[in-house]
Amino acid sequence: MKRRAGSWLLLITLLAAWEVFCRVSGVSTLVIPAPSAVAETLWDGLTVGFLWPHIWITTLEMVLGLALGCVIGFVCGIVLGETDTLRELLWPYILASQVVPKLALGPLFIVWFGFGMTSTVVITALICFFPLLENTLTGIHHIEPQKRELFRMLRATRMQTLLRLKIPSGLPVIMAGVRVAVVLALVGAVVGEFIGGKSGLGASIIAAQGMMDSTLMFALFFVITALGMIFYQAAILAERWLLRHHIKGNQP
Amino acid sequence: MSFLTIENACFSYGEEPVVDRIDWRIEQGEFHCLVGRSGCGKTTLLKVAAGLLPPSDGSIRIQGTQIREPSALVGFVFQTPNLLEWLPVLDNILLPLSLHRTIAPSDRDRAKDLLALVGLGGLDGRYPNELSGGQQSRVAIARGLITDPLILLMDEPFAALDAMTREDLQDDLLALCATKKTTALFVTHDIAEAVYLADRVAVMEAGRIRDALAVALPRPRAADIRYSPEFSALCREARLAMDGLAA
Repeated sequence: MKRRAGSWLLLITLLAAWEVFCRVSGVSTLVIPAPSAVAETLWDGLTVGFLWPHIWITTLEMVLGLALGCVIGFVCGIVLGETDTLRELLWPYILASQVVPKLALGPLFIVWFGFGMTSTVVITALICFFPLLENTLTGIHHIEPQKRELFRMLRATRMQTLLRLKIPSGLPVIMAGVRVAVVLALVGAVVGEFIGGKSGLGASIIAAQGMMDSTLMFALFFVITALGMIFYQAAILAERWLLRHHIKGNQP
Repeated sequence: MSFLTIENACFSYGEEPVVDRIDWRIEQGEFHCLVGRSGCGKTTLLKVAAGLLPPSDGSIRIQGTQIREPSALVGFVFQTPNLLEWLPVLDNILLPLSLHRTIAPSDRDRAKDLLALVGLGGLDGRYPNELSGGQQSRVAIARGLITDPLILLMDEPFAALDAMTREDLQDDLLALCATKKTTALFVTHDIAEAVYLADRVAVMEAGRIRDALAVALPRPRAADIRYSPEFSALCREARLAMDGLAA
C-alpha cells in the first residue's frame, strides 16, 4: 500500500509541475495544454457523452480482435505443437511473419475490408495472433519429462495427454502470451483506427488533430491509457485466477 | 514360476549397454531393493521393467504375462512426487482411473481411504503446492496404489526428503505394502534405506547385478533395527559389494 501511495504522490507531483509549467511559461495550448484544461475536456466528453460511443467502438474492436486473434493463435499453436512435420514446414514462415510489421498491412486491409470496424478488428486479431501462437507452442512443448512419462505409464491417449497435461501445464506460458496480446490489442485497435477508422478513439485523435485541438488529443490519450490499464488489470486477474494452483511465488 | 521375472534384460542408449543381461526374480509379496551409484543403470532397469523402455534383448514377465508397454498391472512412483499442480490431491490420486473411465463415488471413497492410509486423511481438497515435500511423496504413493497394481515400482521416491521424513515414509511404506500385500521393487542409492526396506537387495554396477543380499531381519521392522549389529553388518556387506570387494 505504501508503494502505491508513493506512485500516486509522484503522479500528483508531475501533474502539478505540468500545470505550473503551462501557466508560468505561457506555452501555447496547441503545443502543450494544461492538465486542468485536459481534465475539463475529458469531463465534458464523459458527461455530455460524446466520448462514450468512441470508447465503446474501440473497446468492441479490441475485444473482438483480441478474442479472434487469441483463439486462432491458440488453436494454431496446438495444431503446430502436435504435428511435428507441419511445424518444421511452417516454422521459417512463422519466424518471418513475426518480424513483419503487422500495422503496415493496414492499408491493404482497407482495400480488402473497407474503412471501418472490420479492418481494425482484423489488424488487431493479426497482432494478437502471434504472441498466442508462439506461447502456446512453447507452453505445450516444455513439459517436464517425468510428467510425460507419468502419462505414458498411465496409458493416456494423445488427446488426453494434450488436454489433461500439456495445456494445463503450459497455461502459465500461454497466459503470459495473453497478457502481451492485451497490450498489443490496444495498439492494434487505435492505430487501426488511425489508418481506416470512421469512429473510435484512434479516429477521434485524427479528427482532433484536424481541428488542431491538442487538448482533446491529450484527453483521448488519457482515455486510451485508462482503457489499456483496465484491460491489462483484467488480464492479470484472469491469469491469477487461472493459475491460482500452479506453483506459488510465480506471479507477476 | 516367479511373480516378476526379469530374464536376460538388456538396454542401451548407444553403443554402451546401460542394462546388461540382467536376470532377477521377485516372489509374490516380496519387497526388493535395487541399490547402486548414480549412472549404474538402476533407474533404466526399473523403466524397462515398467514397460516404459523396450528391452533390446530379454524379457520382463509378470505372472507369466510379458510386459512390452506400460500396463495397469504395474504401479510406478517417480523420483519426484510428479503431481499435477492444477488438480486437488484427490483428483491426483484418481488420475490413473479417471484417464480410463468415469469416476464413481466408490472410487472417491477408495481414494480417501488410501489417503488416510498414507497418513493424509482429510487433505483431499488441498492442492499439491499446499503440501510439504513429504506429504507430496505420500500422495504419489497413494496414486501408485489406486489401481491396485500387482507390483509397485519405485524410483528413489524419497531421495529429495530430509532424513527424518524419509524414515517416517519408509515405515509407512512398509506398513502399506504389508497391508495391501503389494510386491515391490524399490530403487535407491541409499544402502541403509535398501537394507531397512528389503527382503532382498540387488547391488548394481555398470549395468550388471554385482551381488544379491538376503535381508533376514524380522518384520515388522521398527526404527530400532537401524542400530542393531545385524543391520550394520548388512549395510557393510552391501557397501563392499558396491565397491567390488564382495567377500
